Amino acid sequence: MAATADGTEEQTSARGSGPAPGRRGTGRIAAAVSVFGELLITAGLVLGLFVVYSLWWTNVVADRAAHRQSDKVRDDWADSGPGALDTKDGIGFLHVPSMKNGEVLVEKGTSTEILNDGVAGYYTEPIKSALPTSGKKGNFTLAAHRDGHGAKFHNIDKVEVGDPIIFETRDKWYVYKVYDVLPETSKYNVQVLAQVPKESDKKKPGHYITLTTCTPVYTSRYRYVVWGELVRVDKVDSKRTPPEELR
Amino acid sequence: MYGWIWRHLPGNVWVRALIALVLVLFVIYALFQYVFPWAEPLLPFNDVTVDNQ
Repeated sequence: MAATADGTEEQTSARGSGPAPGRRGTGRIAAAVSVFGELLITAGLVLGLFVVYSLWWTNVVADRAAHRQSDKVRDDWADSGPGALDTKDGIGFLHVPSMKNGEVLVEKGTSTEILNDGVAGYYTEPIKSALPTSGKKGNFTLAAHRDGHGAKFHNIDKVEVGDPIIFETRDKWYVYKVYDVLPETSKYNVQVLAQVPKESDKKKPGHYITLTTCTPVYTSRYRYVVWGELVRVDKVDSKRTPPEELR
Repeated sequence: MYGWIWRHLPGNVWVRALIALVLVLFVIYALFQYVFPWAEPLLPFNDVTVDNQ
């Protein structure tokens, strides 16, 4: 639109007073076009930077935060004797060997703020997660990022039925075994978090674990769900020897 | 636009290049520190939980 207006102006002024103002008019169009072009290039660069931010920088920040918090939890465990568990900084660590991502700190809540620290969060809403440490039957439900912010569940698609999921607390190793995977479901499907997840063909209460994240990678269209069931609980020994599944 | 900024920077070529570099780094810092963290939750890339909303 601006270019057309400038063009008309150029014609009238050129007719009026010779070639010099006409050249100035052309210059103005050229300037407008070049500013527009520079804005487009800038927009492209900003979008490129956003990709760098999402897939790299958020991981750097999150891993840093996760390390700091994990160290704090480990220190607390080392310092304190047996007794009540301090859950403020995290309740334990999740190990999923098939995801090949080491240990993931588990904290309370699944808000963006918490998950962005590169940890897994257990659900407090819409359905409250049961905690394995309570010893009661229920579903231990967790969420973590698939991409960016630590991307702790990035390789969730590598987890297969029969793979172990180990949850480590100060005193115990909870060894779960994956028994069902739901590769795609609606984000409104909160029933996957139920204490007895019916979609995984379970009818009776038991000690279950549920991992949720988004899918396909780099989007949030659907949710990916992995279910496991408790196989056994090992006591942590003085050397903190990991259960055989982790060796 | 960038030409205009370049012409209005003081000093010789080296000083201008240095100032330009500082400006670019400042813009990148502002984007990473403020703009992107603000924009990210508004974009549908990183919702990992199931919920009723």
